[in-house]
Amino acid sequence: MSEAWRVCINTQTPLLQYLDPGLARTVGRDDRPLDLGSYHEGTDYRVSPGGVTRMVLPLLRRLGEMGAIRDPHWVSLNAKGPKSVRYDGLVLHNVEMSRLRMAGYGTIKEAVWRVAHGTRTSKGPDELLWTADFSEFAYYNRATAELLRRLDEANDFDVYYVHDFQQLPVGSMLSRAKPKIFRWHIPFEKGMIPPDWRSTFEEYLRHYDMVIMSTDRYLRALRDFGYKGPAKRMFPYVDPKDYTFPSPKEAQAVCAKWGIHPKDQVILVVGRMDPMKGQDVAIQAFATLASSFPRAKLVLVGNGSFSSSRAGLALTKGEAWRAGLEQLIKDLGLEGRVVLTGHVTQPELDALYERCLFTVLPSHREGFGLVVVESWLHRRATVVSDRAGITELLHPGKNGLVFDPTKVSSLAQDLHVLLDDSGELRHRLAEEGYRTAGPCLLDAAAGEEVAMIKEVVGP
Amino acid sequence: MILPNLAPLGPALPFVYAAIILAVTWALARAVNRLIRSVMSESMPHVAVSSSRFTSVLIWVVGIVLAVQEIGVSTDILLLVVGLAGVAAVIACREALENAGAKYFSDVYIPFKIGDSVRVGEHEGKVIEINPMTTLLLTEKDQLVSIPNRMFMGQVVVNTTPQAWKEVAIPISVTSGINLAEFESEVRKSLSKLRSRLDPRFPPLLSGRARNPLTSDLTLTLFIRQPGDRDIVTTEANRRVSLVLEKLQRPKRNARNGRAEPAT
Repeated sequence: MSEAWRVCINTQTPLLQYLDPGLARTVGRDDRPLDLGSYHEGTDYRVSPGGVTRMVLPLLRRLGEMGAIRDPHWVSLNAKGPKSVRYDGLVLHNVEMSRLRMAGYGTIKEAVWRVAHGTRTSKGPDELLWTADFSEFAYYNRATAELLRRLDEANDFDVYYVHDFQQLPVGSMLSRAKPKIFRWHIPFEKGMIPPDWRSTFEEYLRHYDMVIMSTDRYLRALRDFGYKGPAKRMFPYVDPKDYTFPSPKEAQAVCAKWGIHPKDQVILVVGRMDPMKGQDVAIQAFATLASSFPRAKLVLVGNGSFSSSRAGLALTKGEAWRAGLEQLIKDLGLEGRVVLTGHVTQPELDALYERCLFTVLPSHREGFGLVVVESWLHRRATVVSDRAGITELLHPGKNGLVFDPTKVSSLAQDLHVLLDDSGELRHRLAEEGYRTAGPCLLDAAAGEEVAMIKEVVGP
Repeated sequence: MILPNLAPLGPALPFVYAAIILAVTWALARAVNRLIRSVMSESMPHVAVSSSRFTSVLIWVVGIVLAVQEIGVSTDILLLVVGLAGVAAVIACREALENAGAKYFSDVYIPFKIGDSVRVGEHEGKVIEINPMTTLLLTEKDQLVSIPNRMFMGQVVVNTTPQAWKEVAIPISVTSGINLAEFESEVRKSLSKLRSRLDPRFPPLLSGRARNPLTSDLTLTLFIRQPGDRDIVTTEANRRVSLVLEKLQRPKRNARNGRAEPAT
């Protein structure tokens, strides 16, 4: 590589969420980015949870270490943050939007997300593309494109890397000759896009120089959809360095705060509070065998996403879903047997992984499922919904168990097998899973990303 | 401001005024130069340089004529020479001016855009560039055909792109004081009233053409349902865009104190 690239990342979810409301009004000296060096992670701000930030931050760090990029910028939606901040070698820029506009934007984003996850009959274009809400969705994308353009004038980027479906129109609005990469993170199934939306999607997609899909199946679906431009499959990934591996004693000490006893058989479900994540399926399956395994405990980790957080779009989905799950737990008489931890810190999450017997990913639809890779990193067996993108890497019975999330009995059967196991099967699945994780770890992915960027930018 | 009393300068006074005129000319030429270069920042560099040089010469000629007049020398001959030079320049640049003028009108009135397939006279191909002088077509044999823009005003132009009749392209210039995101959002809201005449599968498309520090040139593309609606949709869309521009250009009034707020 002759020279380090200047990269500009664009995501909806900001890398940082600001916990101190005063920080949002603080500006750097002379309008320069505010340096977060004198603020404290955990009290003043925190890194947003979720797959996109978990993937992109380590990638930027690694590419920086490799000398492939320099001075990266990152633009995202954040009405409650300072205009721009400097953090960990990055300059983060926040796109502001009023609460009213945010609501309209959120409605469209949610509608597209639901269609991609197959949960709602698609609305016709009249009900979506011509609404005032869609105007706000366009507002957000145009405001983002304008900020990206201004930053390019000042920084002369080599490439834009745009992440996730909410940002899809940005490419068509960004009238710069710089290469643009778009990464689609949610499911993309055959026939997913309603025929009436097709032309709009095609128009948005054609402005990108490369489209990245998370699995081979999604890539095939994109081709079947009619997209003829450059596209690749690249698995999502995590950086093992982001994880700690506490001893059993340390893990138990951390988990005691949720009432987990040293003799409990812990089944772990990690995912934000969202009906799509299928926590209800896990609870119902657990209910069928709770009496047979009196020491078994189901632990559900996670709260709302950025969209449903008060620091984000403040959609109430997460809270409503949590309340529904609490009611379900009560109705099934599982109080004390099912634990809802809410948001946990990374060391706490690592402790939970180390403390559990195995993990479950019960999603009704899942773009990929990096929590499975996390389980493998912690050498834990995993039971995975057959609707998750990562099933492309799963060989049932070899490196995990796979079930149909529409059938509670299917999951219950797998839970029974693993709870009843002496440990041999769980160990075998976990070890094979650990070996499978390779392509989803940063070491492999960084090289693939560099090759892809080189292909787009040119030698 | 109190002006200095220059009366004691006596006979030297006209020379002082001439010097002041030349100084103002110098400052004006520099300022206009800077403005032209920034406005033409996305044009070809040699065109931008030539334009700024031509304007400089013009300003200096006017400044020198005024300065010479101030010191009492007759400028009749000088004006005659300048006038004749101007006429000669216009004659010399006639074709270029015709093309530039034709580009302005064809942008607005002749329905084709980059990416369309068109036939003009004996030439046919895909439009790959429209510059102030010519329109470049790429033929099926991979040949580049350069058509002077004035041909589009004098010849029959056939847009052979499938369903080209559906597209209504409206060029828009938005001044830099207007927030583009707000403009787009307002235009979409306003145009949603026309959706019964527009193809529901294609929401309005706003794409950038050129941009300089003063304006953003955009194209609003609408897709109509019926060929017969073209005229009425174009007229109504133009009216709506103008209303949005007017609304956003108006300084916002602060609800509490009634003061004007700066445009964002």
